[in-house]
Amino acid sequence: MSADATATRGLVGLLDPRRYGIRHQAGVVGLVLLAVAPYLVPTVWVRNLTIALFFAMFAMSWDVVSGYTGQISFGHAFFFAIGGYSSALLNLELGLPPVVTVPVAVVVTVVAGLLVGVPALRLRGPYFSLVTLVAPTILLNVFILFSDTFGGELGLDSPAPILDFDDLAVTLVANYYLAFALFVGILAVLLAVTRSDAGAVFTAIREDEDAVAASGLNPAKFKVFAFALSAAVGGLAGAVFVHTPVGNPNPSQLLALTVSIEVIIAAILGGMGTIVGAAVAGIFLRLFQLYLGTVEYVVPVFDTAVADVDLLLFSLVTLVLLFALPGGIVRWAVHGGGAALDNIRGRDAATDGGRDPPDRDALAAVRESWREDIAAMQACVAGTERGTDEPAGGDRR
Amino acid sequence: MVDVATLAVNSVIISALYALVAIGFTLIFGVGGVLNLSHGATITLGAFAAYYASGGIVEAGVGGAVLAAIVVPALFSAAVYKGLIERIQDQPVMVMILTLVVAIAVEQVFLVAEGTQPKSIPSLLDGTVALGGSKFQTNLLVVFALSWVIIAGLFYTINNTETGKAILATSMTTKGAALVGIESDRVNLYTWVVAGGLAGVAGLFLGSFQTANFAMGRGPLMLSFAIVVIGGIGSVKGSLVGAYVIGTAEVVTGAINTRLTGLVPLLLLILVLLVKPEGLFGRELAE
Repeated sequence: MSADATATRGLVGLLDPRRYGIRHQAGVVGLVLLAVAPYLVPTVWVRNLTIALFFAMFAMSWDVVSGYTGQISFGHAFFFAIGGYSSALLNLELGLPPVVTVPVAVVVTVVAGLLVGVPALRLRGPYFSLVTLVAPTILLNVFILFSDTFGGELGLDSPAPILDFDDLAVTLVANYYLAFALFVGILAVLLAVTRSDAGAVFTAIREDEDAVAASGLNPAKFKVFAFALSAAVGGLAGAVFVHTPVGNPNPSQLLALTVSIEVIIAAILGGMGTIVGAAVAGIFLRLFQLYLGTVEYVVPVFDTAVADVDLLLFSLVTLVLLFALPGGIVRWAVHGGGAALDNIRGRDAATDGGRDPPDRDALAAVRESWREDIAAMQACVAGTERGTDEPAGGDRR
Repeated sequence: MVDVATLAVNSVIISALYALVAIGFTLIFGVGGVLNLSHGATITLGAFAAYYASGGIVEAGVGGAVLAAIVVPALFSAAVYKGLIERIQDQPVMVMILTLVVAIAVEQVFLVAEGTQPKSIPSLLDGTVALGGSKFQTNLLVVFALSWVIIAGLFYTINNTETGKAILATSMTTKGAALVGIESDRVNLYTWVVAGGLAGVAGLFLGSFQTANFAMGRGPLMLSFAIVVIGGIGSVKGSLVGAYVIGTAEVVTGAINTRLTGLVPLLLLILVLLVKPEGLFGRELAE
């Protein structure tokens, strides 16, 4: 197995190398299950799975910039909305077919992403997050300001579908496979990028941006690249989403604060900076949420059905999960599972000759750089020496 | 067309209210380095506590409403700090996410319990007062006066009492404060309680001339970002000035087009972040 592991290490880099074999198998089984899922579950769940796949794509687009480079975006819905709205508007207003509008929407999203990202990425961690937190709210306000064009808080009409058949069940299955194909494509591209040398630089930026600059690489260039890639993926997913029966171009599905937050929660629960974690957790989180919405069990004391309080329960459950497993479920399962397997096989932990990356999750790296940034911000306000020669939020290049 | 005097008075009043919200937000950040995104939910909680105390559940009159609007959010804020934040306050990303999830949970509680229908909260004082040729609700003037009484009291407390000085010292340097025997955990708790009370009162004030609904805290939270960034995040004096900048900008643009109100403060925020990220009072002591 060790020869095996060495051969594949280049592709799947970041998690525990001892587990490659089984992890790959699990991934293949997962994809095969997703491929045959429409024949295993009732029609309504085909619909829910389609929604979950799109949500997983959103989560992956967040992970590639925030999980890898450590620039935590709190407003990724900005991308989904720009992609979805651009494609829908081009279709509704100009009558262009989705084949044309979707690629144009991706370009529009990348341009919008660069307009926000290039100046915002100059800011230090917490300030960057504030800007990204505010960006979707600004967009929503613009939509409300120009309600005639953007439909305000209600959103736009459904644009033309990409795949539409007379039989509803067939349409749903066809759209599921559309989402599945897009999901696999995005997964493959993001895995390829993040497991390449560029991915290594992203991770290095997360760990220590100054060290990256000191070794002669321009961190700003890589951050902007990650941001643009993320915008392209988010915009693509958002654009295709509105042309399926499960998605509509409206703020609650594409732009609401909850969308941005759920994406972050999914990626963190899955394990930040893994892409696969974001994909897996994205699917399960959305399915869990959709399931909660169907539970008709009535809570005795409060006399309300579970389905009516689904969002509340969902936020409480995620609160507990985030608090208990900040490193992510996938990482926890992989490490826990790996240790258990080693016990069974009677190996000790360091069979990889020390090549196992230090057990330090992405969040820990971000935490440390943020702690420095926040200390600088506080120092700046308090007027101590540290703040006077280094303005908080200033240019890091 | 648009009455300048009315606009001016409205700006002055609403800005005082925003200052209450922003000071709490900036205190928590200045002392603990925590961006508390559940601050908006605390406003909502204050408004609903007042609603429940003034006829929603019990009939305790205006005095009871005010008391409820201070005590309940202050306790809630303390609970959030003690239960969640204290253990993870050195993890800023988790803090932002968890406080946002708390905010969503609080919103959901009121959405499920009360629905989307806005609730009215009784005015602090009924009637109108003529001022400079235009009529103003007495309630608004009371809100303005009380806001300034609270702000002045807060400034006095911070600068002149032991606890206040401890808060100030911790916001300057946690280590230095610890060296002279200040327990930073306790100071943190104080700031959360104070911020909770301030936000709660602001919720009551907001609700008394608008209405209370589950999402009412979102707008003020976003405005708080703009205010504290303009004023220099962590600076109490800065947030007072920032509140007046944002409040005035909001009222004036609102008079031009009501749909602009939410947009302009946020654009100001982005502008300040890009041009002068340390804010107006970024180098000054919170005093």
